[in-house]
Amino acid sequence: MVFSSIPFLYYYLPAVLAVYFLVPRQGKNLILLLASLFFYGWGEPACLPLMVLSVAQGYVFGLAMEKSKQQRWKKLWLLLTLACSLGALLWFKYAGFFVGSFAAFTGIPVPALKIALPIGISFYTFQIMSYSVDVYWGKTAAQKNPIHLAAYVSMFPQLIAGPIVRYTDIARQLERRTHSWEKLSLGIRRFLLGLGKKVLIANQLGALCGQYQSLHEPSVLFCWLYACAFTLQIYFDFSGYSDMAIGLGRMLGFDFTENFHYPYVSRSVTEFWRRWHISLGSWFRDYVYIPLGGNRVSRGKWLRNILVVWMLTGFWHGAAWNFVLWGLWYGLLLLGEKLLWGRGLEGRPVLSRVYVMLAVIFGFVLFNAASLSDALDCMSGMLGLGGLPLCSGEALYYLRSYAVVLILAVVGATPLPARAFRRLGERFEGVFTLLEPVGLALILLLSTAYLVDGSFNPFLYFRF
Amino acid sequence: MMKHYKHQIQTILLGLLLLVMALLCWFHPEQLYSDSERRVLAGAPELSWEEIRSGDYMRDFEAYTLDQFPGRDGFRRLKAVSALELFRQLDNNGLYSAMGYTSKLEYPMHQNMMDHAAGRFQRIWDLYLKDSGGPVWLSIIPDKNCWLAEESGRLSLDYDQFIQTFRSLAGEEMTYIDITPCLSLEDYYRTDTHWRQESISDVAQTLAAAMGRELNGEYETVTLEEPFYGVYYGQSALPLLPDRLSYLTNETLENCTLTSYDTGKPVDKEIYDLSQAGSRDPYELFLSGSDALQVLENPNADTDRELIIFRDSFASSLVPLLAEGWSSIVLVDIRYVDPAMLGAFIDFHGQDVLFLYSTLLLNNSLGLR
Repeated sequence: MVFSSIPFLYYYLPAVLAVYFLVPRQGKNLILLLASLFFYGWGEPACLPLMVLSVAQGYVFGLAMEKSKQQRWKKLWLLLTLACSLGALLWFKYAGFFVGSFAAFTGIPVPALKIALPIGISFYTFQIMSYSVDVYWGKTAAQKNPIHLAAYVSMFPQLIAGPIVRYTDIARQLERRTHSWEKLSLGIRRFLLGLGKKVLIANQLGALCGQYQSLHEPSVLFCWLYACAFTLQIYFDFSGYSDMAIGLGRMLGFDFTENFHYPYVSRSVTEFWRRWHISLGSWFRDYVYIPLGGNRVSRGKWLRNILVVWMLTGFWHGAAWNFVLWGLWYGLLLLGEKLLWGRGLEGRPVLSRVYVMLAVIFGFVLFNAASLSDALDCMSGMLGLGGLPLCSGEALYYLRSYAVVLILAVVGATPLPARAFRRLGERFEGVFTLLEPVGLALILLLSTAYLVDGSFNPFLYFRF
Repeated sequence: MMKHYKHQIQTILLGLLLLVMALLCWFHPEQLYSDSERRVLAGAPELSWEEIRSGDYMRDFEAYTLDQFPGRDGFRRLKAVSALELFRQLDNNGLYSAMGYTSKLEYPMHQNMMDHAAGRFQRIWDLYLKDSGGPVWLSIIPDKNCWLAEESGRLSLDYDQFIQTFRSLAGEEMTYIDITPCLSLEDYYRTDTHWRQESISDVAQTLAAAMGRELNGEYETVTLEEPFYGVYYGQSALPLLPDRLSYLTNETLENCTLTSYDTGKPVDKEIYDLSQAGSRDPYELFLSGSDALQVLENPNADTDRELIIFRDSFASSLVPLLAEGWSSIVLVDIRYVDPAMLGAFIDFHGQDVLFLYSTLLLNNSLGLR
């Protein structure tokens, strides 16, 4: 089930909220857990046991680590829980890729592995691993109540597409959280804004990207149109989903960490990754980069650390070479900024932003390509190297047809609208108090209309 | 304090909206058919362990919630209007309105579809016409995008190229009759794919003349009182004004008979079935709709020449206007009958043969058997 669907909006959510607020405080986590299991089982009933087992091993090994007096036992339990988590991830997400790559490189005919990827496995596995490592490091106590831990891992707002919520961030809220009109109101607002971003902007941009796949008259303009549209689509898609997750969490009394902070206004790739998928970037920083020594090691090891982290970041997104290269692309850009051109970007706001956007746009072409050759075709088309005409009637048609959506997306990807609304809200508080619920209701109704019409509604981050 | 009330009011208002919508979804009576979309709507899926385990139940449930959403037509309209007016898109799900007409983008030219259609025609030629000895003609009906799409800045087929390409695919055995000069945008319904019968008597005369027959072409026009909401009315979900549906008649036509062999046995049908006027597809008034095999007989014809037309739905409104020129007209729709079976019903013995198809069908010809 996805948030931007009629079954979620008008069947699941009202029922869950009603039951959740009706039961006493002690029962809320149990309701949350049951609702989350239903939510997950709805999309992937066959994968439900895997998630339950993953939670169970995290719970058992967490308790075992806490009870162990000797460090070596603690370490053993940690290694076992990490082996279970990573083993499941490697098997379900990467085994097919490794087998396929082995066959391709060696020429040895190996039967292809066809293993279904459980939805959200990358997200909940990382949550369980961070919990286990934090317990091992003594940052947090192991959770004694299995319902609380299971509710944390499986919590439906963030289960299938993040943000990757750290146990340490919500451990207290799991046991004692408050609910208020303000939290509900802000949660509803955040959820509906995310819904609008996803349904009204991202889905339309997705339809434009779909036109590129069935292109009749390729041209340089259409290659750029596709690359820019996808860059905006993935932002509105993923940040919209994160907004919905954060909003739902707030309605339920949780404060999730922010996942996006206007990444497309960044002046360097380093800054971009501080603003893009923040929960993933900080996870890799805290659980991979720093344990490897971070930057407090020799230059050679530091280079290795950066490249390893970024290769893994790319690989986390999908079991394919284009994701590995996409991660390495950012690793190289970050190294370049630290060693070569980082200083040159300072004090040059236009140049630095153009540089970041070009890096990001080309990166997303690689990210979204079905194969490396498709990525190269598109990139060479963008650079005018493919012998394509500059323009075509088809490209102009879709540019004209999607001009308003593209403009809205470009402006919406900057802090300008939020800033303008805040200022207007301060100046005309009374009017805004009345208009805000009306505007939000309109977003809900318009999004519903787009969903009912059965328009394009994929969710890009499902595959992770 | 003000902020507290604001949050309270906002939560209550939006919560109520969500609750009301949810209750409507849960208790909305199920509808079987959508008149506007002309399709059967998904019903509630059957709950079983097997359906749940396979994930089919969830998928079917989502389709059910979309199809049975309360006020579905209104929400579809809201989406269509906002796509075209708010987001200024040039089409909504491929449908667009311009110059007072609504149409669907027909783009690009599908070479594989044209090959398929030409292959189907070749099969008929090989099975029956090669040895029949009669003249064979081909005529292509441009759809209304020919006058509307490029003119209004939409993606458009190159109709000249399309026709030239198909003519060369169809081969030299078929003599081409060009009817494009007889047509203009006004000859089509504003909300439907088809042409208006009252505007195409010149098309009938052009076709008949090319096939060596002359038509009188004098008719009385009868206009129905019921509004005609064409297929694009429902598909586009836009607030469009309906068309008026007219048909042409005269004494010759009133004496003609129509027999359908859709089930293999002869069934008498109306040339103009007025009971269809208030139906889901009033265009089916013409020849009582498209059947696999129909025979229009004209007992007062001044000739014993016979005509066989391989056709799509555009022919339904045209064929009555050709009735005067032949003693019988056999209509074959190879979307509904395998050409291999035609020999059991039709004796091919040198009749005039016309392949009359619209660009819409030739460019989307997978349905041709």
